[in-house]
Amino acid sequence: MNKTYYFLIILILTLGIGALFFPEKSYIKEISPELLFYKMNNPSRFVTTDQVAKLIIESDPTLFLIDTRSSDQYGSFSLPGAMNIPLDELVDSIGIICPKWIDYLDIEGMKVIFFSNSDVIADQVWVICTRHELDNLYVMRGGLNTWAETILMPQKPSEYSPDEEFALYDFRRGACQYFVGGSISIKSDVVADQVPRVRRKKKTVVAGGC
Amino acid sequence: MGPLISQGYINPEWNFVIALLLGVAFGYILEASGFSSSRRLAGVFYGYDFVVLRVFMTAVMVAMIGLVYFDYMNWIDISQIFILPTFLTSVIVGGVIMGLGFIMGGYCPGTSFTGVAIGKLDAVFFTAGLFLGIFIFSSAFPLIEGIYYGGELGPVTVMDTFGISRGLFAFLFIVATISAFILVSWIQKRVTKNEV
Repeated sequence: MNKTYYFLIILILTLGIGALFFPEKSYIKEISPELLFYKMNNPSRFVTTDQVAKLIIESDPTLFLIDTRSSDQYGSFSLPGAMNIPLDELVDSIGIICPKWIDYLDIEGMKVIFFSNSDVIADQVWVICTRHELDNLYVMRGGLNTWAETILMPQKPSEYSPDEEFALYDFRRGACQYFVGGSISIKSDVVADQVPRVRRKKKTVVAGGC
Repeated sequence: MGPLISQGYINPEWNFVIALLLGVAFGYILEASGFSSSRRLAGVFYGYDFVVLRVFMTAVMVAMIGLVYFDYMNWIDISQIFILPTFLTSVIVGGVIMGLGFIMGGYCPGTSFTGVAIGKLDAVFFTAGLFLGIFIFSSAFPLIEGIYYGGELGPVTVMDTFGISRGLFAFLFIVATISAFILVSWIQKRVTKNEV
């Protein structure tokens, strides 16, 4: 046999032996760029702080809050029941979500809501997770800054505001009491209508018989 | 980085242009390797010439080891490569028909076109029969649809079925291929020696 063949056999065998030591990669399927672009332009992923507060107060079992800030910030303050997944720990060196987080993010029937100080980092996490074909993901609009403005320090609407704004203000004050504690009394401005009392004639005992 | 088209580096509209260029290159190499000769191709069945086996198995081996290394280097996302779904019944029935056609006619579909390109008469007849077969298959498709779609297993791979790594499969395939090369060389020597 020609010497070149021996050389080629040794070369391909060496490459084959080298392939034995390659680590196994775990691939996660990604959605197409077109679909990702469509989803990014769809604002339905945003939920308001009021909606989040309502879900927490109602102890919705399908709610799963994820704090995307650093662990230090998470340690100082976060929403009740939230789990910490910082953005820089979410993906590995080649941009794939670490398998340890997938189990948390891919629970069927759960509403996963990301939040950060504003909604920029939370939205980045949403894009990464949505790209990896994960569903039921939401972003809290405005993040914790808006949470503080709306839930923790709600502003009273002007007296000419519609009733809906007053109802929302009442809800926020109640939510503030729920999250912060204290003794805020909710005073309703609605005056109950006077119910007219009707005096009924006393029934007299039947006198006499037939 | 790769695959270049599905990752958006190359516009999908170039698909057919690239396929045409690759087809021309493939045809040229087939012809240059002597695959336009039906006697040479049929040699694999009679044991006097195993060039078909050597060329195709070498191509598979090189492509496979290349993909494994490209995947390791992150030059290609191997999960995005299209894997043809397996239809077991049609693979077995089609394989038997193709083998019979190959041994009788001396060509496979691709090599018959290289034979036509250099004006071989047997290749012209073979290609005419090929189109006749396509016509009969298309006309009778409702009758054989059950066989065509039978035994669907989806895009299965040997690695998934046996739970082994891609690297281990590549190594085993290389060992098996080199063993086959040594075996066919021995067979070829014996057959050609007897003929002399």
